[in-house]
Amino acid sequence: MTVLPITVAILVAGGTYLLCQPGLVRIVFGITLLSHGANLVLLASGVSAWRGEPLTGTGDPSDAGDPLPMAFVLTAIVITLAVTVFMLALARIGHDDDTPHMPDTGENHRT
Amino acid sequence: MTLMWLLVALAIVPVAVVPLTGAMGRRAGWPLAVAFLALAAAMIPSAREVLDGGEITQTIAWLPALDVNLALRLDGLGLVFVMIALIIGAAVFLYSVEYLDEGRQLGFYLWMTAFAFGMVGLVLADDLIVLFACWEITSLASFLLIARSGSGAESASARTLFMTFVGGLTLLIAVVLTIVATGTTSVSQALTSDVWSDRPAFAAVVAVLVAVAGFTKAAQFPFHPWLPDAMAAATPVSAYLHAAAVVKAGIYLMLRFSEAFSDVLVWNVLLISVGLFTAAMAALFAFQQHDLKRLMAYSTVSQLGLITAAIGVGTDKALTAAVLHTIAHALFKSGLFMMVGVIDHSAGTRDFRRLPELRRVMPWSFATVILGTAGMAGIPPLLGFVGKETILGSMLEAPGPEWVGMLALVAAAAGSVLTVAYSAKIVLGSFVDGERAKVCHGPSARLFLPAAAPIWAGLPLGLAVGVLDLPVERAVQAMGGAEAYHLKLWHGLAPELLATVAAVAIGAALMTQRRALYRVIERPLLPGTGADALERTFAGATEVGRRIARSVAADHPRRHVVPPLMVLTLLLGLGSIAILTSGDVPATQPDLWRPIDIGLLVLIALGVAGTCLADSRIAATVSLGGVGIAVTVQLFALGAPDVGLTQLMVEVLTVLVIMMVLRKLPSRFGSSRLRRPGALVVLAGGVGLAAGLGTWLLTGRREKSAPADYYVSEGTTVTGGDNLVNVILVEFRALDTLGELAVLGLAGVAIVAVLATIPARTLDPPDKPRNLPLRPVSTLADPLAQAALSDPQSNLRAMQLLLRVLVPVLGVLSAAIFWRGHNEPGGGFIAALVGSAAVALVFLSRSDHRTVGSPRVHLALIGGGVLTALATGLLGFADSSFLQPLYGYVAGTKLSTSLLFDVGVYAAVLGLVLVAIDRLGGAPPEVPAEHPVDQEGAT
Repeated sequence: MTVLPITVAILVAGGTYLLCQPGLVRIVFGITLLSHGANLVLLASGVSAWRGEPLTGTGDPSDAGDPLPMAFVLTAIVITLAVTVFMLALARIGHDDDTPHMPDTGENHRT
Repeated sequence: MTLMWLLVALAIVPVAVVPLTGAMGRRAGWPLAVAFLALAAAMIPSAREVLDGGEITQTIAWLPALDVNLALRLDGLGLVFVMIALIIGAAVFLYSVEYLDEGRQLGFYLWMTAFAFGMVGLVLADDLIVLFACWEITSLASFLLIARSGSGAESASARTLFMTFVGGLTLLIAVVLTIVATGTTSVSQALTSDVWSDRPAFAAVVAVLVAVAGFTKAAQFPFHPWLPDAMAAATPVSAYLHAAAVVKAGIYLMLRFSEAFSDVLVWNVLLISVGLFTAAMAALFAFQQHDLKRLMAYSTVSQLGLITAAIGVGTDKALTAAVLHTIAHALFKSGLFMMVGVIDHSAGTRDFRRLPELRRVMPWSFATVILGTAGMAGIPPLLGFVGKETILGSMLEAPGPEWVGMLALVAAAAGSVLTVAYSAKIVLGSFVDGERAKVCHGPSARLFLPAAAPIWAGLPLGLAVGVLDLPVERAVQAMGGAEAYHLKLWHGLAPELLATVAAVAIGAALMTQRRALYRVIERPLLPGTGADALERTFAGATEVGRRIARSVAADHPRRHVVPPLMVLTLLLGLGSIAILTSGDVPATQPDLWRPIDIGLLVLIALGVAGTCLADSRIAATVSLGGVGIAVTVQLFALGAPDVGLTQLMVEVLTVLVIMMVLRKLPSRFGSSRLRRPGALVVLAGGVGLAAGLGTWLLTGRREKSAPADYYVSEGTTVTGGDNLVNVILVEFRALDTLGELAVLGLAGVAIVAVLATIPARTLDPPDKPRNLPLRPVSTLADPLAQAALSDPQSNLRAMQLLLRVLVPVLGVLSAAIFWRGHNEPGGGFIAALVGSAAVALVFLSRSDHRTVGSPRVHLALIGGGVLTALATGLLGFADSSFLQPLYGYVAGTKLSTSLLFDVGVYAAVLGLVLVAIDRLGGAPPEVPAEHPVDQEGAT
């Protein structure tokens, strides 16, 4: 019995639901949820049985969590921030964040 | 001077052009001409060695893993082309100083010198990969040179690029086939390989591919339209590109590969037939033109056709002729192009119908143009005559029965008649036939001399053509030629002389009736031009592309997202079930969960449900923030304090940015547009289930990993830092972090770039936002709420007071977190996010929507951060490799250069957040009169 996979399932299901909505803001929210889920999967790969902080000199080294997935997740969080902020910047164009309705970007391409 | 240094010097020149043009403007042409002449002079010792029968090679390992070397070789053939590129280049630069308008002219000099680099690299390359790379450099540089010549040149440059890239592709295929078949990337070894004689069919395929590549650059039918098209470029560009460089790159390629293909029948037939056809066709087109420069362009195509045909014949005499005429053509054509510029400058037009009678005003130009066109028409005793004679004579040596050679000679002679005619048209049209009345000034010497010099050089070289004997012979030998063909001005009464005499006589006879002839010929012979045909091809291809794009258009992300998600779900779900039923699954580790996980699970589930179901944007945002906080606690509970801290700060900033964006958007999502919500719920459930199943099955079933053990036991010893996550980020896996910084920085730059390109009326349309019901503040029941909302500025006072204390505290905190990151939870990321939070608070407390620092500072922070991290990485080379940290002791503390790396991280993160706040936090949409408020806020 373990709990993390259920948390992951809920985050991924919610993320997928939002990702497929029309409207960029909801898509961004979906991506945020998905990345929470993905981060937990990464941490679960380090085996959640050992939960000591990976700081040398604190606690029992044999109980320390795997620092490598943590480093990955930290990187992932910051990249999520970058992607989220960029997509939010796109959502602010015009009055609406409708995805089916393209804003006029002033470029003279036919779409 | 070694070959490598020549290339290095030529690579430095374009870099030097930037400050040079900044300081001297268009006069930068003078030092550049001197530099090119100096480089040519520096090559004299090498040239002497080559003329003595040697060859110079130099090899530097470039991609040892792929066996690609930066191999250079100078032989007789290369020497001819290097000298053409450098000396004609110098003349063109001298000319440009006077020809170009006042101003910096950075683009012109930059791409011209880059072009010369590519051309010399192409000629010196002894490695097929290097050869191909240089070929593409010349394509790109010529595109850029044409494209910068004003709006009319845009489509012309695109067509040029398209044509030359077609040739680039066939060359690439040919190069790859050659490397695979011969097993070497060396040009000299590949060309002398037995493969060509052992596998004739293969040789024929590669020969056709190389020929097509050569045709595209040398403007041979049907790839010729780009060259007259490219006349949109400035005259010095034309003079260099179309007389000495681009087109000569095509000729060089065909000459170089003729060593392998001169006995391949397809090669002979293709080159001779296309060359001669192009020569005659382009001569006719040239004769039709009103525009002096377009006439020159077609005449270039025609002359190159003759050279191509000679290469196709492939005998020693024919190759001698090709090399000689390449030299002759480079001289007279570059000069004639520049003379066109001289005429244009003096008369203000290049149109025969408007050109005045210039011979009295510009007698020297008159003489020079006569000399140049005489060379082009093949009149003795000029160098052009010798070249053309030899080409005509070599036609008789064409492979096959005797009548083939005769036919080739007659075809070439027919082209020559037209050549004589258009050459005469140049002289008569611009100097004799015009009206006398118009007033115009003669050219300045500084403009005239560089233009005239290459033309006048053809006279002594023609009289004493013997001096070219040795260089040309060495060039022919470099192509595998055995017996030298000696160059002479006078060959006796050979068939080619008769052909020349006949051509000149018929041409002259035609020109006596020129007025009648012009009336007949100066109208379109064909319904459309090559450029039109190419434009139609473009339009057709674009339409096909548009149709394909329509089926995958980006207006519904679902279209792209759903299929991969379904595949992933099936793979993961069915795969997990398959593994489970096989029964071979290790037991899970005991103690995988703690009670707190269940509580967090409930919170996360509630939050996710709220985010998904809320129709109000604010409610969804609050729910999302709730999920974020619960996940953060979960991260702490998993023993990852660094990750948890980062997540917390990111959560705060994300919500802040979301709120800034939401101000501009409708208050509700309006979920009615979704067509099949039921199917989506099933899909989402399926994906979630598969992800959960996979996570349960594939994690938590092993002992501690070896890397984990390594980091825990050795990490601190190696790096001196106690915080293992931080030392992984900045030392063990710093390359990952560097990549991440680049993503971060680019996101910031992209935000600035995208929003800057969108016009304001699109970004913030003047009409009222839809779906935002507003009513006046005065209708609010609560007087306190009314007062607070009608004067929002006063609400900021408390925060402004608080920040006086809070900002210094946050600053100190940020510094402390940064410093302690090596040993305790913290580090560059978290510290930067704390700093960003301070900046965000300052922004929120201001009433005028100004952010901290100017946009320039924000981008400088991003760029500086990434550069600092990169520079730290380069420091690592002092020890062993990129990003290798260096250690030192300062006052007893072990310090690492990774601390500097972390500074880069800090700056880039802060820069991104500043950009986001600056670009997204601008003034809210205009508030209608009477301070209306959002209805939701009031009720």
